[in-house]
Amino acid sequence: MNDPIPSLPARGPRVVYRAPREWTRMHPISPLLGGWAVMGVALAVLAYNVAPSWTGVDPDLQEIAHILTRSLVGFALALVAILAIALMLGYVQWRFNEFRLGDEAVHQRKGVLFKQQRQARLDRLQAVDLVQPLLARIFGFAAIKIEVAGGENSGIQLAYLRLGDAEAIRNELLALSAGVKRAKAAGTEASVDAVAERLAAPVAGADATAGTGVTAADAVARDGGDAAYAGAGEGKDSAYAGRGSLRDVVAMPSGVAEHEAVPERPVYEVPVARLILSIVLTWPTLWIMMIPIVVGAAVWVWGLSIDQIVSFTFGAGAGFAAVVPAILALAGYYWTRVNGGFGFKAAIAEDGIRLRHGLTETRRQTVPAGRVQAVRFEQSLLWRRADWWRVTINVAGYQDDQVAVSTLLPVGTRQDALTALWMVLPDLGDPDPEGTVSYALSGSGAEGGFTPSPSRARLFDPFQWRQRGVRATERALMIRRGRLVREMFVVPHERTQSLAIQQGPLQRRRRLASFTVHSTRGPVRPVAENLDVDDAVALLDSQTARARESRATQTPEQWMTAVGIRG
Amino acid sequence: MTEFQPDDVTWQYVSRKLIPARVITLWIWIAIPIVGVTALGVILGVWSLAGAVFGAGLVVGLWGSWIVRRQVTAHAWAEREDDLVIKRGRMWRAVTVVPYGRMQYVEVESGPLARHFGIAKVQLHTASPGTDASIAGVPAAEADRLRDRLTSRGESQLAGL
Repeated sequence: MNDPIPSLPARGPRVVYRAPREWTRMHPISPLLGGWAVMGVALAVLAYNVAPSWTGVDPDLQEIAHILTRSLVGFALALVAILAIALMLGYVQWRFNEFRLGDEAVHQRKGVLFKQQRQARLDRLQAVDLVQPLLARIFGFAAIKIEVAGGENSGIQLAYLRLGDAEAIRNELLALSAGVKRAKAAGTEASVDAVAERLAAPVAGADATAGTGVTAADAVARDGGDAAYAGAGEGKDSAYAGRGSLRDVVAMPSGVAEHEAVPERPVYEVPVARLILSIVLTWPTLWIMMIPIVVGAAVWVWGLSIDQIVSFTFGAGAGFAAVVPAILALAGYYWTRVNGGFGFKAAIAEDGIRLRHGLTETRRQTVPAGRVQAVRFEQSLLWRRADWWRVTINVAGYQDDQVAVSTLLPVGTRQDALTALWMVLPDLGDPDPEGTVSYALSGSGAEGGFTPSPSRARLFDPFQWRQRGVRATERALMIRRGRLVREMFVVPHERTQSLAIQQGPLQRRRRLASFTVHSTRGPVRPVAENLDVDDAVALLDSQTARARESRATQTPEQWMTAVGIRG
Repeated sequence: MTEFQPDDVTWQYVSRKLIPARVITLWIWIAIPIVGVTALGVILGVWSLAGAVFGAGLVVGLWGSWIVRRQVTAHAWAEREDDLVIKRGRMWRAVTVVPYGRMQYVEVESGPLARHFGIAKVQLHTASPGTDASIAGVPAAEADRLRDRLTSRGESQLAGL
């Protein structure tokens, strides 16, 4: 704090971007970025109107569309009216949507008729994402999604802010969150102001050496070389004097972020070609390939006509329209996969794991160290030749968009998958981690030290009983299953929520039991079914003890040391 | 053969008053359709239908009551040093272990019937939606004490997610 501020650049007042401490609205352009659903409806009306009859759209709907578009003028007027109403609603919503950084939490209040107050406590922060839908991306805006642990609807979404502001706020929140947690652990004052002050001091000193590892894409908009002095001096206070808002829309002064992005180290990325090929090699594709074969067989063998086949498949009298939803659903599936995995890049930084992906809507996730609750590896039959794996994770706090937010690796070689695991869990607590995980991924029976399901389980698992198995290392529990689709779960002991064993009447006769690890909400639900009952009970006991010990000893600092960020 | 439970637990079984509470609920649900259909049969004079439905209802009710009794007598909990263990069920049985440090909050609820019998349900919530940790049929006074005990232990052992 004692660094003198250097002479300001002549271009104008310097602004230090940081999370506002007073109630602040989103960027005024937000309603324009968000309200395009209405336009979609208008376009749909138009599409219905011009749709040729063979598509079999509902004649009643088409009649309405016809009336609407009887005259071009009428249609234009309707469009303008809809647009105006949408804009007005959007504006009102924007007026009543404010946020601020309080003493211990980010607060948001919004809603016109139904007021909502939300807060995200910094010490419970689970992840901070920057999301950019297509329009926002084109114009350089982003939404911040703050996920915290605990309860439904506890997350906060700030949409939209300028990309630079959003990045600055994200960096600041992550830094403060880590600081608050450290302060609590050390027993010092854990309010935002106290932590911010403490953070500012070392930052100014370290800046002489910093500023090297930041990638261009993640670097916050900065003004020449003077970014190095961010956070120092009284300049930041004067820049904010009198106004709680972010930046003036019209006269947008250039500036620097108070907290720079922490340097990150790229770990892996997914080539587009591999992504596309991997998506083609999934079950829906197999089904599509079956269609011509089945239809061909029907035509040649039984002499059916195409019309007969269609009416047989989709019910009598069905037109082409019946097929449309199926095609749309399929296209939606492919699109979600491509859009979510496009340009997937993973990196690690001091504030956690950074994931970046998306084609039209890009998302930059930051999951702080040790926040990953459970990991799942998955390999469908068609991926086995190339030994590709998909890795998904549970992160506490994420409520929606499970596919979009919970992918750690959309597709990768075994080596990539291992790297992904090391990123999350740097120390497996095993002398030969690679070998152990290899057995976990594609082993069977008791090899690699696994506790397999006994052959008595054959009744319930005729195909996969040999693949089922469990093994605990010092740091994590691994559960293996699946023959056609191979699956493997890894749950760090300290992330175990609760444990359970279950047994049904048939299982009892065969002296089997199932063992479940309860993880936070997410796509990963680890369960080891049909173990020997003695093994299951013993596992319940030993896992309880391991989880207890790990909870007491693990800290985020250990993660940083283990992945090599801190010596 | 080991028992289907951890070694070192001393179970505390739930109150037997849960049996009448659940049986009454069960009979109410059975009675409504039975009475309706039987009355219809009587009115229309189809005595065989009325009799058959009434008999079936009686059998299902008795069987259900027997199951309720067996379930309740198998439902127990144990407070250990670091975690709470809950077991339930005879036919489909399950044992759940919830560490105190993982509890987000504890909920005590009792409906009118449960209040009449002086029992309550203690529900534990962790950060996992999969945790199925509830103890039905805890004596009301004990339920409050249990909640306070669990809460204070949870606070002292609370671990970050």
